[in-house]
Amino acid sequence: MFGFLDGSDIGAQGEQSIELETTGSYGHRRGHFTAIEQEIEYESVPTQFFAYELSAHGMLHSVSGVEGVANNHSASFSGLSGKFSYLILGRGPESPIGLTVSAEPEWARIDDVDGTRTADFSTEFRIAADTELIANRLYAAVNIAYEPGVAKGVHDATWEHSSGLTLGTGLAYRITPTVTVGGAVEYDRAYDGLTFQTFDGHALYVGPTLMINFTPKILLAAAFSAQVWGHAVGDSRALDLTNFERYRSNLKLEFEF
Amino acid sequence: MTPVRKNYERVVSSAVFAILLSAATASAQESTTLHITLKGNRFQPSELSAPANKPLTIVVTNGDSAPAEFESTTLRVEKVVTGGGTISLNIRPLAPGRYRFFNDFHQETDGYLVVK
Repeated sequence: MFGFLDGSDIGAQGEQSIELETTGSYGHRRGHFTAIEQEIEYESVPTQFFAYELSAHGMLHSVSGVEGVANNHSASFSGLSGKFSYLILGRGPESPIGLTVSAEPEWARIDDVDGTRTADFSTEFRIAADTELIANRLYAAVNIAYEPGVAKGVHDATWEHSSGLTLGTGLAYRITPTVTVGGAVEYDRAYDGLTFQTFDGHALYVGPTLMINFTPKILLAAAFSAQVWGHAVGDSRALDLTNFERYRSNLKLEFEF
Repeated sequence: MTPVRKNYERVVSSAVFAILLSAATASAQESTTLHITLKGNRFQPSELSAPANKPLTIVVTNGDSAPAEFESTTLRVEKVVTGGGTISLNIRPLAPGRYRFFNDFHQETDGYLVVK
């Protein structure tokens, strides 16, 4: 419902679904950059408080003439991930605010920027809160995420440590019982070191979101966001196109069974 | 063994005992069982009542021949009931309020659990 951000809803106990998720990244400094990640996910809600997802990832790169990145046109299996969510507060008669914490460990064998072979281990820890501003109509969400990771290219001798911090907020308005539109703002910071040792750059993204329930069991969610402000350390030019892409897109198609 | 370590072990074992005791108390708390039937695409009764802060069991019988799916976003449960079948759902202790449930295969077929 909130695009790149999470709501607090983890689903109902007994729910199981298969989700196809496509995430696009477009544009770094100069040249042509497109990276498309395709995930296939199995999602399950075994209790009223806990949900998990297991995902396999594939990656397609089309990179040419980008500053600091070698040309690359490739497609390959890129890794595996899981997501484990725990509902602390359920939105509804019990509480006006929903609150969920999640951990999303990921192993990647392909670098998401240059498309080369790597060994990358990261985990995103996220807190998502949401509320209904107008009953059954207008929803708002806030997210905070911290993502430490270690990575080593196949020809590298040492592991690189990094971390990211994300703050985001979104609004979603249900215009019909099956269609919800909205917008989200996300602020990202990139660091060297697992715990924010050296600041590398930051970026602000803004964009629209859309969700359509085709049937009670088939759902489509889409989001697009553009970097509207940012700065990379050591680069006087506008925007941070070293650590972050210019545009992002996300498309989810979920089949519940 | 140092006094600090002894104290640490005492604190840990007390905490484990407290957790086990509270789990045993919770499981010993008797649950209230509620019965509801789906017949002619309607829940009968369409409104259930239950006490607050006590675990609940909802037994759903499908009196129709077509399968149904008992679902509630606020109760956070979802389960298919075959035609003529019966299911049982365990619900956590709830705060007072009105909790909507519905048949996910015919979402206009709904009812409420009123917790007081």
